[in-house]
Parts: sequence; C-alpha cells; structure tokens
Amino acid sequence: MKTLLLGLGNPILRDDGVGIKVAREVDRRVDSSWIEVTEACTAGLDLLELIQGYTKVVLIDSIQVKGRRPGEIFLLDLNDLKTTIRLTSPHDVNLATAMELGRKLGLPLPQEIKIYAIQVEDMFTFDEDCSPTVKRAISEIAEKIIQEEGWGEERSPEPMPVAE
Amino acid sequence: MASGKAVDAVYRVKIPEAAKKLRELFYCAHYIHSHLAHFYALAGPDFVVGPDADPAKRNILGVVEKVGLEIGGAVIKNRAYAQKIQEMIGGKATHPVCNLPGGVSKALSEEERKKIEEMGRSFLEISKFSLQLVDDLILANKTYKELITGNTYRHETYYMGTVDENNNLNFYEGDVRVVNQHGKEYAKFNPKDYLNHIGEHVEPWSYLKFPYLKNVGWKGLIDGADSGIYRVNSLARLNATEGLPTPLAQKAYEKMFEVLGEKPAHATLAFHWARIVELMYASERLLELASDPKITSKEIRALPTATPTEGVGCVEAPRGTLFHHYWTDEEGMVTKVNLIVATGHNNGPICMSVKKAAQSLIKKFQVKEGLLNMVEMAFRAYDPCFACATHTLPGQMPLEVRIYDSQKNLFQRLKR
Repeated sequence: MKTLLLGLGNPILRDDGVGIKVAREVDRRVDSSWIEVTEACTAGLDLLELIQGYTKVVLIDSIQVKGRRPGEIFLLDLNDLKTTIRLTSPHDVNLATAMELGRKLGLPLPQEIKIYAIQVEDMFTFDEDCSPTVKRAISEIAEKIIQEEGWGEERSPEPMPVAE
Repeated sequence: MASGKAVDAVYRVKIPEAAKKLRELFYCAHYIHSHLAHFYALAGPDFVVGPDADPAKRNILGVVEKVGLEIGGAVIKNRAYAQKIQEMIGGKATHPVCNLPGGVSKALSEEERKKIEEMGRSFLEISKFSLQLVDDLILANKTYKELITGNTYRHETYYMGTVDENNNLNFYEGDVRVVNQHGKEYAKFNPKDYLNHIGEHVEPWSYLKFPYLKNVGWKGLIDGADSGIYRVNSLARLNATEGLPTPLAQKAYEKMFEVLGEKPAHATLAFHWARIVELMYASERLLELASDPKITSKEIRALPTATPTEGVGCVEAPRGTLFHHYWTDEEGMVTKVNLIVATGHNNGPICMSVKKAAQSLIKKFQVKEGLLNMVEMAFRAYDPCFACATHTLPGQMPLEVRIYDSQKNLFQRLKR
C-alpha cells in the first residue's frame, strides 16, 4: 500500500494551482518509489474515487484565511473541515462529507489524511503562474512538507509496499 | 467537446465515423457522471430528503440514509465507471486531451470496448432505479409534487436544444431548435449561424451577459412571447425535441410530460426530473455505441489539409447549449474567440427564478425562514456549480441575500 500525494487546484487560475505546483516540486525532490504523486482539478466525490486504496493521503490545496500572509502554510486534518458538513450549504459535497459517505459505504479509504493548505492571494485571474509572493514561497513550502512528512530521510518512514 | 468541434470547423475537416462515435460515447459517459452528481449529491437532497428537512440531513448523507447504503454505493460506483470511460477515451477524465482537428488521438481496443459495454449495463440499472425513485419518493409525495409542478418558479419562456434530422434529442450534433411558449417551432438553425439568432444584453450590475433571441428582442427580465428570454439545459432540451431516440428514455419522456400536464413544461424544478430522463437516454445511447463493432475501427482521424480560418463548434453540454467560435490566422493561431456557455444562456431566467422565490417568501416586511434555501433551489435547478468554480478549502458556498425597501434602503441581510 502506498502514500498518495495529491496536488489540488486549477492550474490556469493563478494561485488556485499552487497545490499542484508544490506537489510537483515535492515529487522532483523526493525519491518517490513509495509515494505516488498526482494532481487533480476536482473535489468532493471525485476525490473519494482518487484516494481509495491508499494507506495515507497527503493533500495540498489553496486556502484563503482573513489576515494571513500569502504563502503561509497550514496543516489541517479532516476534523478541521468537519464543520463544513453542517454549517455551510447542505448541497456542497466537501471532502469531509465525501469521506463520511465513503466510510458509510465501506470503501477502502486511507487510515490517515493530512491536508496542507497554502494561503493564496489571487485565484480569479487566468494565469498559469502563481502571483509573485506565492511563487517565491513554493520551494520553501515543498521543503517544509518533505521535512514534516519525514520524506527527506534516506529510508522511507513507512514500510516498503508489499506486492499484492 | 465544443472546442474540438470548433477546431474541426476551423480546418474544414470531416472526421471519420469511428471518431464521431468515440466522441459521442465519451460524451454520454460525461452526461452520466454529471447528471448523477447533480441529482443525487447536489439537487436530490431537496426532494429525496425534503426541502423542509433539517439542514443537517439535507445532503448526500441524508439521501443515502433515505435510499439505502446499497443504492448510495451504486451511485458512487457508476460515477466512477463514467469517469473511467472518459479516462479511457479522453486520456484524462477531467480536462480530456483526446480531440484533435479531424478526429481523436486514440482508437478504442476491443478489450476496452467490452469493459465499457459491461459498465453500460450497470448505467441502465441505475437509470431505471433513478426513474423509479422519482415515482416513489417524489411524485407519490403530494408536497413535493406540488413543489415541482406549482407556480413557485414557473416561467413561460422560449426553449432551446439540439436535435437530429427527426427533431429528436442529440447531445453531440444537429441543428439548434427553439420552440415558443406553446411548443411551436420558432427557429431552427445550423449552429454556425448562431449570431443571427442570439444577442447578448449587458447590465452594469452583472459580469455575466444576458443572451436573448435577437429576432424577438430584449424586453428585460420577463417571460412571455414578446420577451427574447429563452432557457437551455435538461427540461429545455426535452421541450425543444419531439422525442428521444431510445426506447426506455422515450417512455420516461412521455410519462414526464403527461404528469406535468403540458409540453413545453414551464416548471423550473422539473429540470431535475428531465435530468433523470436524460440519464436514461445517455445510458441507452452509450450502450448502443459501445455495442457497435465499428467503434473499434483504427480510422479515427482525417488529417486536415485546408488553411485554417474560422469555425463554430456546438454541443449540448449537460447544463445546456454550448457555442465555441474561433477565428485564426493562416497558421492556426487563434486571433479571436467568442463563447456562449450553457449557464450563460440561463442567466436571465436564473435572475427571474430568484425574484419569484423572493416574492413568495417576503411579504409585509416579514422574511420567511427558508429564503436562503429557496433562493439556492432557484439557481440549483439550472446549475449547482456557481459556488465551486474554484476549489479552495474549506469549500463552503457563500450566500448572502440583501433585502431593500422601496426606497432602496437596506432592510435586512441574511447570510451563511
């Protein structure tokens, strides 16, 4: 079983694609034989399909929090998103809702999900590049994630995958 | 898909039969994926769980609680199948990369065809179940039935959709047909002539334009024969056709109009029902295409040889008629683009539906509970996705309703 590193966002909407760019940077720096890196411009139920069968999933996405500096990184887990099941539109299937649905249905979901959220500045302008401040932070953010996950160590922090 | 067809037109190239079949097959899978999500995850909660249910239950989890885990699993499974088919043909399920000027980039193998055929049979089953669900949970419930057929969001507009040579529904190609408020054909045109029929009105308070029937004229956000306002999307497509080309979908189509008691049907919430009828059509058509031995032909591309100039591509996107119009230089570099996207057509009607919701729930300075949801239901019938065009965490749908008095003073603000 493997770890999935999933960069999320829309790569042509300036900072909205920062999750994808950071995932690519992590992929470039880490020997990823035991980490599968992929990217998606999707959410909710589609994510449910993507993350099945992995032991651990690390998501990287953009976030906008009032008063925070572009390029800041936040580490969240599903509990941080749980409130959105109840407090927002009952029709917006977010990740926490999708996960709850998946568990009810007995799908093979990961035991651990970590979410790295990157504060963004502009996600409404058509651009394949991030805004300058966010772009400058990509390398540092990738390094922080590698350190936090222990992916910089010579040996994998997780057991190597066993052939199924 | 509209983009791919516009590029064919720019190069004036006719694509091989197998390429056309592959594109249509891909597109049926896209419809199944989109309509399943729209009905079960985004709109269904209003009907399956109920518009007045506890908001905590009015979501897909509530739907699953009501219809059962087995069906919930079937919905998720079939959505995944539809994604898989799009990936097989398109390279990627979201933002596919298969269309090339003159055809598609990859032929379908026999092994893939068999897999798709098998998945197609599964789509038929979920479509049958979904139609039954409309009967059992929605039509059998007097309140829900009244909600769908009632006056709350009724608008007597023109309707637009794409039809084949028999005026039957076609998602991929055909003429664009417009019917009037009584179902009579008002216009039928080749998509390349869209500018002769569609005008775009601009209002300073909206960044979306307001398409209207040019030859009727812009009369504001009102319905009726003298107003150029028209609608697209599922119910509009079924209103604009004379039938569906597959047997089970045709049966469901006839039943829907019989229950609604009119054709064209003007009840906005019936767009959801029409979506399920179209789910059946997409499933039957997908199975037809996947069972066609010619779909595995290796002749999937005609190399373009003409000098590129200008072209229009048009398809029925799940949310409605979609036009792409490109102008290029001699090297095929795009110099100008015009798009009229599906929900853009419905911009005027969405505003009208929101207004009707407000008028029915705000009386004598009293704002009734449920206004936010009723406003949401108004635009959700046309398109549930305004809020998720970008995917930042935590993915909540911001909604604010401001109520002004007759002097334009802010009277009340509702927010979530």
